[in-house]
Amino acid sequence: MTQPDANALSLLPTEMVEACDDFSSALSTCSTLDELNRLKGIYIGREGSFSSRLMDALKKAPKEQKRNLGAVVNGLKKTWEDAIKVRQSELETAKQHLDSAKNAWDATLPPPTPPTGALHPLNRLMDRLVDVFRPLGYHVEEGPEVETEEHNFDGLNIPEDHPARGTADTFYLAQHSELLLRTHTSPVQVRVLKRLAPELEKKGGIRFLAPGRVYRKDEIDPTHSPMFHQVEGMLVGKGIGMHHLKGTLAYAMKALFGPEADVRFRPSYFPFVEPGCEMDVHCPLCGGSGCRVCKGSGWVEILGAGLIHPNVLRIAGIDPEIWSGFAFGMGVERTAMMVSQTPDLRLFFENDQRFLQVMGGLD
Amino acid sequence: MLLSLNALQQELPAIAETSLKDLCELIASLGFPIDGVEQGEHGPVLDVDITANRGDVMSHRGLARDLAAKLGLDLSPVELDPLEEGDALVSVRLEADACPLYSTAMLTLGALQSTPEEVKKFLASLGSSAKDLAAVDASNELLHRYGHPTHAFDADKLQGGIVVRYAKAGEKITTLDSVERNLTEKDLVIADDSGAIAMAGLMGGDSTKVDMDTRRVLLESAWFEPRVVRAMARRHGLHTDASHRFGRGADPSMARIARDLLAARLKNWAWAALDGAWTEGQEPAIGKPINLTKDLLQRIAGEPLSIEDAALLLNRLGCVVEENTSSLQAAPPTWRHDLTLPEDLVEEVLRLRGYDLIPSVLPPVGSDPEPLAAEYQQRHGIARRLASLGFYQTVTLGFVSPEADAEFADTSAEGRTLGNPLGYEFSVLRGSLLPSLQHAAEHNLRQGAREVRLFEIAPTFHSTSNGPEEHSTLSIVWAGETGGLDPMTSRGPVHPAALQGVLAALGAQGEVRTLEGGIQAVEVALTDIPASPERVIPTFKGFSRFPSVERDLSLVVPLDLPFAHLKTAIQAAVTGTPLQTLTCVDIYRGKGLPEGHQAWLLRLIFQGDRTLMGEEVDAWVASALESARSLKAELRG
Repeated sequence: MTQPDANALSLLPTEMVEACDDFSSALSTCSTLDELNRLKGIYIGREGSFSSRLMDALKKAPKEQKRNLGAVVNGLKKTWEDAIKVRQSELETAKQHLDSAKNAWDATLPPPTPPTGALHPLNRLMDRLVDVFRPLGYHVEEGPEVETEEHNFDGLNIPEDHPARGTADTFYLAQHSELLLRTHTSPVQVRVLKRLAPELEKKGGIRFLAPGRVYRKDEIDPTHSPMFHQVEGMLVGKGIGMHHLKGTLAYAMKALFGPEADVRFRPSYFPFVEPGCEMDVHCPLCGGSGCRVCKGSGWVEILGAGLIHPNVLRIAGIDPEIWSGFAFGMGVERTAMMVSQTPDLRLFFENDQRFLQVMGGLD
Repeated sequence: MLLSLNALQQELPAIAETSLKDLCELIASLGFPIDGVEQGEHGPVLDVDITANRGDVMSHRGLARDLAAKLGLDLSPVELDPLEEGDALVSVRLEADACPLYSTAMLTLGALQSTPEEVKKFLASLGSSAKDLAAVDASNELLHRYGHPTHAFDADKLQGGIVVRYAKAGEKITTLDSVERNLTEKDLVIADDSGAIAMAGLMGGDSTKVDMDTRRVLLESAWFEPRVVRAMARRHGLHTDASHRFGRGADPSMARIARDLLAARLKNWAWAALDGAWTEGQEPAIGKPINLTKDLLQRIAGEPLSIEDAALLLNRLGCVVEENTSSLQAAPPTWRHDLTLPEDLVEEVLRLRGYDLIPSVLPPVGSDPEPLAAEYQQRHGIARRLASLGFYQTVTLGFVSPEADAEFADTSAEGRTLGNPLGYEFSVLRGSLLPSLQHAAEHNLRQGAREVRLFEIAPTFHSTSNGPEEHSTLSIVWAGETGGLDPMTSRGPVHPAALQGVLAALGAQGEVRTLEGGIQAVEVALTDIPASPERVIPTFKGFSRFPSVERDLSLVVPLDLPFAHLKTAIQAAVTGTPLQTLTCVDIYRGKGLPEGHQAWLLRLIFQGDRTLMGEEVDAWVASALESARSLKAELRG
């Protein structure tokens, strides 16, 4: 601060001189805007302040002193005003900082998160299979869980004395002994074939996937459940052979497990197909190099399949001399357990949220 | 089925050079995956999974025969000294078609008998211990080696001649396992004058069993109808090595051979002397000739295989084949009961060539693709919506206990009850998903979950006179407490209204029930949930771009006045005005209100197709207030 020269100061009352001397330290002790406003009132307020009293003194001063004194007074006033303005801006900035800190959200605190949910892993796998087959023109067919022997066994060329028909393997209803809980999704085949038989020539063929719940009389243990899921697939056309089955499933496994997934067919037997086969896929975990899941073989069994048995077509009213096709069926739990290395089947039905959260997802 | 590698190699010596791993792969490629390999006293033992249609492979020779056909090799010859047949020493009468052939022989045993150590080890490695009775052990060894079951009776315990017939009603037999069994008229038995002495193809009887004191044996090597044996095994729950083989179809041409082999073993192991051998009946005809055309062969194979190649492979399997350039006729061998259709022959051709060689081609597109069914898409849409709202999809069993069912179901459990459930607690096809979800919620709470949000979409079963009807159903449970996991969201128990809100988000309505432990639960039929619009994007509906006017009314209302009543009354009072929204945004039930009252903050939002004037809105609000007053709702002072 520029000090007025001593000559001019001597013209001022003593208290004014002291006020001049005190201003700097008074200003620096103002730590709030309120304090600063009080200081402002004392030094440069409209009435009674040092500056207004200086102005009064200037008015009363002898004419010859006015020039000198005026310069001093104006200098002082400007000095005070400027210094106060600077201090005010400092204090205002500080207050703003404090206010904004008060309102600020600490970004490292946990934010409120939207609730997480998930689709069941078994449903996800079935949905994924539907997604895999949609580009091939397969749609979804479904059937009831309570079925007749006709659809569950007869229509599938399963012999009348087949053990699967016994009450040790299949659940039957007490009051309707002709009704049972379907033991596979294959009765959907029978229903669809029968329904479409009359218009098959017009349609030109059949392609569908049948995911669903099935029941077998197995005690609950780490690898068995009296209810589980299957995904069945079927195609009917003209001139369909094993090469078409292989081509379709090879595509599906690549779509499901990635382009490296190789498949291998082995002969097998199911009453409703001929020829029948089982398909292995390159172990999705080790990629074929051998691990615990594939017991070192590099391959895991993934599904059963075959060309539709001519009797199945015939029973549905379709001429096997003209039409042919293939069918395949996959155990959903088995595949889910294999892919996820879930050690116990019961986890899928226990519905513990910790399991569902980790194993599920939204698609 | 367990197979000794050693014994397999004896039947097909050429495979001795093949590594165990390659051999296992080879067997698997024929359709018989290896479940495991163990080291036995007799060398490695393979656990081979034989498919149900292939009874002929259920022996060392049987599998070796399939391998020989695959590899184009020859089996070891069977060392056989055929018995000369003569007159029957004991009469054998075949009264049932189910037993068309019965070969037998009578032998007198020497003073000493011993089963060779090799054979004991062989049997032990297959999990079957030797009895040190030559007739029993030899029969057992032959079964595993050649697949044809035989039996030996103590000839001195027989009473009169032998008859193969169906059992008489009320007839009983005590089998070798010391179980007394009640026979039915569908059970085929071997009988003597005393009654049934064996269950045909299953097990011998206790009364004629061979023991240390047996001096003379009568051998049985017959052929029984597979269907009859299967039915008996199932009826009596008696599944034996013999029933597995006769039940899947034994080779009738093996009947005499097995008898001769058994007799030869008794001569060697027990210094037995042949008293006589004879056979009753004829070999049944197995396998009619099958015609296979080149078209079918190539259609199934997916490549231009020639009839000659097919004929060659079928011939290796033992088929008698006649061929021309466009088709062949193959008569299956007596051991292949499973070959009846031309498709079966193609499978055999492909199996021997190896399924690996089948080409891989996508099928031609014959039919038009179809869209996914609306019902299927609706279910998936709801599941995805609920999952994104924070709920976990569950999968639970379709049956529950009668008590759990009765608490929620809308129909009687009669008609939905299983005749042969796994247990009482799984005996009713559930009429509601809620018992299962309640159980799952309780499990999660017990496991320490603070908040449980579960849903399931599955059929529920509803009794009708024709059996259960299935209705696609959605159930949701919400339990525990919400919030409190971050500084901004306050915690509190799950309120039923929250579940109502979730349901509203699906466009559905339902009665929320509070179950024990504060579990909020709701169930709705999927048909009661509006399907998403058929159009991908719904029809355009205009909206006002003029400013809306919002007015709040703070009302003191009697506690027993439902909001819906008030809302209807106000809406009626301001009919014709552009009221867009009328809702309650706050409830106050604290101090300062008259007894039996609460305060509601109602919000009315008006918006029209022009700018609204303050005065007209005031008038509408005044009408609203007047109608509220008629329901004893007063402006809060």
